[in-house]
Amino acid sequence: MAITRDEIENMIGKVASRDRDAFLSLYDATSAKLFGVCLRVLSERAEAEDALQDVYVKVWRNAERYSANGLSPMTWLITIARNTAIDRLRARRSAADGGGDELDRVRDTAPGPEGHAMAASEAREIARCLGELEDDRAAAVRGAYLDGLSYKELADRFAVPLNTMRTWLRRSLIRLRECLGA
Amino acid sequence: MTEQTTSGEGADDVVHAAEYVLHLLSPGDRQAAEDRLAIDGRFRALVARWSEEFARLAADIAPVDPPERLRRSVAEFADSEVGTTRSARRERGRAPRRGSILGRLFGGGIGALAGAAAVTVLLVVALPRVEPPYSGPFFSGELGGEASLLVSAFVDPRYHTLTLELVDGAAPEGRVLQAWVIAEGEETPVPLGLLDGPSTTIVVPDDLAPAVTGGTLAISEEPPGGSPTGLPTGQVLATGTVDEV
Repeated sequence: MAITRDEIENMIGKVASRDRDAFLSLYDATSAKLFGVCLRVLSERAEAEDALQDVYVKVWRNAERYSANGLSPMTWLITIARNTAIDRLRARRSAADGGGDELDRVRDTAPGPEGHAMAASEAREIARCLGELEDDRAAAVRGAYLDGLSYKELADRFAVPLNTMRTWLRRSLIRLRECLGA
Repeated sequence: MTEQTTSGEGADDVVHAAEYVLHLLSPGDRQAAEDRLAIDGRFRALVARWSEEFARLAADIAPVDPPERLRRSVAEFADSEVGTTRSARRERGRAPRRGSILGRLFGGGIGALAGAAAVTVLLVVALPRVEPPYSGPFFSGELGGEASLLVSAFVDPRYHTLTLELVDGAAPEGRVLQAWVIAEGEETPVPLGLLDGPSTTIVVPDDLAPAVTGGTLAISEEPPGGSPTGLPTGQVLATGTVDEV
């Protein structure tokens, strides 16, 4: 999918002025990626489908706000998708009163063979800096971002006390910041 | 080395911003962070930076084609939104509003305001610009216009958003409604955006935010796409200012 940042930005601008065709072009260009993000967080396909619809409703409704938030277009879209999915995930878990077995979902974390080349090259810096952390610390940061895990769930997954996990993660974040450049 | 000694007092904000982006904050802390985002440009920059960097981890996530029916449903949603522009009336449409920030902020208030309004009134309600958590007074005002157009306007100073709810009336056939602001002491209207349906949210540029809460809002009817000149070219159908209640 050879879509450029400028093209996506242009589509979002048209969506802000209620251009239905641009909205569908944006959907065609980005929905597979955003569906992947929703699926990654939610695991369940039906729920990820609902979340994806919510994502595009939000994109439609908030496109006018896009230019004000200072994010690149894919980051903005991915952030909406991730937040929408995590909100659903947290709602589901609080409904299940803390979850249980489903918190132990195991995910295939391997990147797809068709992963975006552009994104892959941009990912090098954060990947390199995560690589400088201990393996489990890096995995905790990835689990928080990619899987939407809470501190409690991270502590459970890595079998450490909650406060230990907080300390781990906060120190990891500071080291990441230093590595990425202040 | 601990976080207390690594980067001085800024380290807490750096971590806090990252925790916000990662969704690690409790609901209360998350809301507080969002309130802070509205007024603290430095914190906003930290969050934006982390958002960009973490979003690159999403390169690890393989795209998955969603089922075709989702595209149809998204298309139907857009059609319903575009369609309501032409026939905007009291109803808010059947489009889903789940998760809407505005729905969360203003969910119960809109109907009550509409019930109290007379014809040809633009009602303006603004939250004052204060440090959150917000506990101060609300602002409202009522003004008359020539045409039978009724619009409720809401300003959220935390996000610099202006939401215009078309309560009654509509643009003349083949025309669109455009919102303007005239800053206090100024004479020249500055375009804010087009009203696209029953509810339109406009992000107000930072430099215009004081004008929106302190000046006059106006709505004119314009050719499709809005005024070509940057100034109102059609009839001004409603105006309004802000008062504290």
